[in-house]
Amino acid sequence: MSDHLSSATWNALVDGELIAEELASVTEHLHSCPGCTSHALEQSLLKTGTARAGQRYALPDDMRQRMEHLLAVQDSPSHVTEGSEAAIRPAVQRPASIRRTEWLGWAMAAMVLVLGAGLTFVRRNDSRVHAAGVERAALVTEVSDQHFATLAANLPPQVLSSDRHTVKPWFQGKIPFSFNLPEGLSEDTKLEGANLAYLHNRPVAQLLYSIGKHRVSVFVEEKTAGSGLGFPMEEHLGFRLVTFHTNELNVVAISDVAPGKLTELMNLFERAQVD
Amino acid sequence: MTLLPWRHTGKETSGRSSLFEDLALPLLPALYNVAYWLTRNATDAEDLVQETLLKSLRGFEGFEADSNFKAWIFRILRNTYLTSRSGLAARRTVALEEELDEGGKLGPGAYPEAAIDRETPELNLIRLADRATLQSAMEKLPPPLLEIVLLCDVEELKYKEIASILEVPIGTVMSRLARARAHLRKSLEGNTFTREFHA
Repeated sequence: MSDHLSSATWNALVDGELIAEELASVTEHLHSCPGCTSHALEQSLLKTGTARAGQRYALPDDMRQRMEHLLAVQDSPSHVTEGSEAAIRPAVQRPASIRRTEWLGWAMAAMVLVLGAGLTFVRRNDSRVHAAGVERAALVTEVSDQHFATLAANLPPQVLSSDRHTVKPWFQGKIPFSFNLPEGLSEDTKLEGANLAYLHNRPVAQLLYSIGKHRVSVFVEEKTAGSGLGFPMEEHLGFRLVTFHTNELNVVAISDVAPGKLTELMNLFERAQVD
Repeated sequence: MTLLPWRHTGKETSGRSSLFEDLALPLLPALYNVAYWLTRNATDAEDLVQETLLKSLRGFEGFEADSNFKAWIFRILRNTYLTSRSGLAARRTVALEEELDEGGKLGPGAYPEAAIDRETPELNLIRLADRATLQSAMEKLPPPLLEIVLLCDVEELKYKEIASILEVPIGTVMSRLARARAHLRKSLEGNTFTREFHA
């Protein structure tokens, strides 16, 4: 039975994503397996059905014309020439009174230069802070997205076990680092399993816990240069994210559970890494 | 006759705009359809398409001629949607475990079984043929799963193109697609998913 095609293969088959060798192998299997043939047919019907059902909303009659007009207006010469005319007008029509006070303009230009030099220094620092902010926001979004997708999908974890000695070894060969799972969890906290996930296009461990009825995702990633998660706790769309780092790992947890409970789990996690 | 530099630039810009119109206007129906699915509102859909077009036109200089225009403009549509009012609202209404648990159907750790083979294939085939039932099932999909079904099944984009639109690895595309289809099957099988997708 383990020879049956996986759902990923059925999907790739109906989506036309199999390469020639894979397709030949799958076709050969389908010839001899009525069960998989039935599933593949069902998958194919689901795809054509959603393709048909998804074509639901027709473009309003006049919208195409309005959009064409909008693009034409954006492209009209007035849009281009207005700016250029404005740029050359002062040079052509310079009144005599302005010439008399020309020195004032030069003085202001000098002041702007001095200010500009000062601002460059400040901006250099600001851009570093800004880059860190952007990186942090991207991480928060990516972690949240992964967590929401897990909640929304409501499928079993890839490794479904509450035993840390089962969950941890499952990652061997799947991620290029190792980590410890905490023991001595509080009574309402339970390890539900784990998934192999991706953050920043790198494989990470997504450990799934429940605290009461709340679900928690703990992402463990390898620490690389510049991948430090620079916030201890942050809120995003009503969820809280808590992080800590070791010399080799970045760990971030996300949940809507009470902050104290989430911090308690993360403290246990952090202690487990040094044990 | 040599054109003055500004005239020359103007002509090039005009040619570029014309190329943009040639590429973008045929995609209007597809952009509007996906925009409507995402926003669930005709006015918001129209605003989203309009903003997408303007952003794309402004950024068209940076578009590389040998890359996929459809994937490029859908990526702009999606990013525009995510930062829109309806996009932010939709992201806040992603189903939570508590909501699923309200009806006592599921608890933490009580994951459903694989969503196939619950009923006869014949019955499933009949349900798959029903357009209204499928649309209703699609409406119940959480936004990240709905968008992947729209891009893959409705717009027939390849996994690689979808990955570039969603800015995720191909593996994530595959897993989300598998989850989306499992959701759809489950809905079609008549399981009572009480979640609603509010625009």
